[in-house]
Amino acid sequence: MAFVAAAAGWLLRLRAAGAEGHWRRFHGVGLARGFLHPSATVEDAAQRRQVAHFTFQPDPEPREYGQTQKMNLFQSITSALDNSLAKDPTAVIFGEDVAFGGVFRCTVGLRDKYGKDRVFNTPLCEQGIVGFGIGIAVTGATAIAEIQFADYIFPAFDQIVNEAAKYRYRSGDLFNCGSLTIRSPWGCVGHGALYHSQSPEAFFAHCPGIKVVIPRSPFQAKGLLLSCIEDKNPCIFFEPKILYRAAAEQVPIEPYNIPLSQAEVIQEGSDVTLVAWGTQVHVIREVASMAKEKLGVSCEVIDLRTIIPWDVDTVCKNADPFSLGLYPTGKMKEETNNLY
Amino acid sequence: SSIMTAHCSLSLPGSSDPPTLASRVLVASRNFANDATFEIKKCDLHRLEEGPPVTTVLTREDGLKYYRMMQTVRRMELKADQLYKQKIIRGFCHLCDGQEACCVGLEAGINPTDHLITAYRAHGFTFTRGLSVREILAELTGRKGGCAKGKGGSMHMYAKNFYGGNGIVGAQVPLGAGIALACKYNGKDEVCLTLYGDGAANQGQIFEAYNMAALWKLPCIFICENNRYGMGTSVERAAASTDYYKRGDFIPGLRVDGMDILCVREATKFAAAYCRSGKGPILMELQTYRYHGHSMSDPGVSYRTREEIQEVRSKSDPIMLLKDRMVNSNLASVEELKEIDVEVRKEIEDAAQFATADPEPPLEELGYHIYSSDPPFEVRGANQWIKFKSVS
Repeated sequence: MAFVAAAAGWLLRLRAAGAEGHWRRFHGVGLARGFLHPSATVEDAAQRRQVAHFTFQPDPEPREYGQTQKMNLFQSITSALDNSLAKDPTAVIFGEDVAFGGVFRCTVGLRDKYGKDRVFNTPLCEQGIVGFGIGIAVTGATAIAEIQFADYIFPAFDQIVNEAAKYRYRSGDLFNCGSLTIRSPWGCVGHGALYHSQSPEAFFAHCPGIKVVIPRSPFQAKGLLLSCIEDKNPCIFFEPKILYRAAAEQVPIEPYNIPLSQAEVIQEGSDVTLVAWGTQVHVIREVASMAKEKLGVSCEVIDLRTIIPWDVDTVCKNADPFSLGLYPTGKMKEETNNLY
Repeated sequence: SSIMTAHCSLSLPGSSDPPTLASRVLVASRNFANDATFEIKKCDLHRLEEGPPVTTVLTREDGLKYYRMMQTVRRMELKADQLYKQKIIRGFCHLCDGQEACCVGLEAGINPTDHLITAYRAHGFTFTRGLSVREILAELTGRKGGCAKGKGGSMHMYAKNFYGGNGIVGAQVPLGAGIALACKYNGKDEVCLTLYGDGAANQGQIFEAYNMAALWKLPCIFICENNRYGMGTSVERAAASTDYYKRGDFIPGLRVDGMDILCVREATKFAAAYCRSGKGPILMELQTYRYHGHSMSDPGVSYRTREEIQEVRSKSDPIMLLKDRMVNSNLASVEELKEIDVEVRKEIEDAAQFATADPEPPLEELGYHIYSSDPPFEVRGANQWIKFKSVS
């Protein structure tokens, strides 16, 4: 009944708006919108905008790490941070508003559990936060810094690229800030516009000395974050904010690690290789099944997970580097030259 | 009495109906004062021998104008709150109700040819700098009648001599110093008001801007709108020194009661005169308060008590303060001000109607103004098969 009423309302509104209909607006603008998401659903005018045109697909329950619990992305982050602070007495968490739990609730309960000298707020100063974090890490303590949105990371760009990434190299391994991890909510969410939606991993992808990691799900996030924290190189961990609540699956309560610089083949295929990370993995999965259904194309789906240093071998194992648009350099180039 | 009210409203300054002889006689017989002198709070000074005056004259005309402007900002913000809850406005929305004395008072102290730049709590400034409520609400709802053609939204509104509307905290302050440099260079005696909040006061680039402005004696008025909370963090928990008017160190400063529009006006006139005389930058801290939370997704009561908000509302509300002053000094009657309220409400209603009914900008304009180039530049969309033209 409500469906009929809503449908009637929707049609009336379309006509009333003199509407071209919001579907027609997308014609001639490249890929038809309908290709990427299910056929027109009935929504009222205020929700016409498609915020998330993908469905999160949980992975099967992991059996090898002990007891699991249903957690969404922010809860799995909290769990990882909880494990870290429990294991490592030098670990501290800091950033804007982390004390009360954080604007995305990733640090809820940690200050009460571990004390205000281990989980504390900083003033509004990103460059200061990261610089300060590098300082902590250089003394050997584990620093977990939060930048409230990835869009705000740019004042800290100099500290990350010029200080953190090069510390070990320029001191000849005398000093390093390997125990620094920077966490930051990442990616578009529908209503974030210019400054709450950015995905800046590409800016960091050309900086040797740091690692950039982006998980696609709660289970991946906890394992990857724990690996970043324990990794002896400064790491940036971007958390897809649209998945904080939307993604929920069974996640082990005990700590576990997912190795960095290892891509994961989520789906085997023989015709085309699709590489994605973060939220896009779920979009690409849908694309792969649509391609199979409508075009008969068998797609291999790879979640890159670590953006730099990235897993060249897994990506190139089945792919013809030229058909992917990858131009081999260095050793890869030599090897492919020998092949052809 | 209602007849008298009707005649009174006909003769209000700024109204479009020409007053009849009868109504002029009626108003004259009501006998309002032409102006009144008020005492205002003395400002705390930093590196200044003298401050703004402690008394000021308010004319009836100015009083009514300020009242109308503050009431318009107030009602506009409340309407935005309503539209947001109805999901007609989406995204981010930072409201400034409670801080009306700041935007209206600052405007009263400067000329339209002066310049102003602020952060994201900018709807009030957009209005006082000259845009209509229609354009502002339509921009909030993302329609093509909006001042940024629907593409900017709450945080990105601009007008002549008003440089926004900026999302990144603190980033607008060096920009303000640059605008001040242009003012000095152009030699037209203009100043630039560069606003930021108590949270932003701890950003590094603000201090870089202080240094440059003082070194080169730029006509820049740095204004810290201290509403006691940087999002959810109170000033004591964020700043080693909460004397924001002293944070400019070598830059002289004054601390101003930001809830009293006359205090703000006098301080602004003082500061503008200081800058125009070529002495360099000056810093103003406006002590003010916002009734809403940081943004529409913040209820605003988890880091402060409802009692505190209520107390400010009942003791220091800027509109109430002005109204009481005017009524008690016979500059206006309660009925007259109520008439203004009714007119303002209607104006806001009409603007909200327009903002809800206006169409969204066409999708082809999504890529406009990314670059300026002739012929139009092609920009890639979310994937390489989606192309937008950047026409500018």
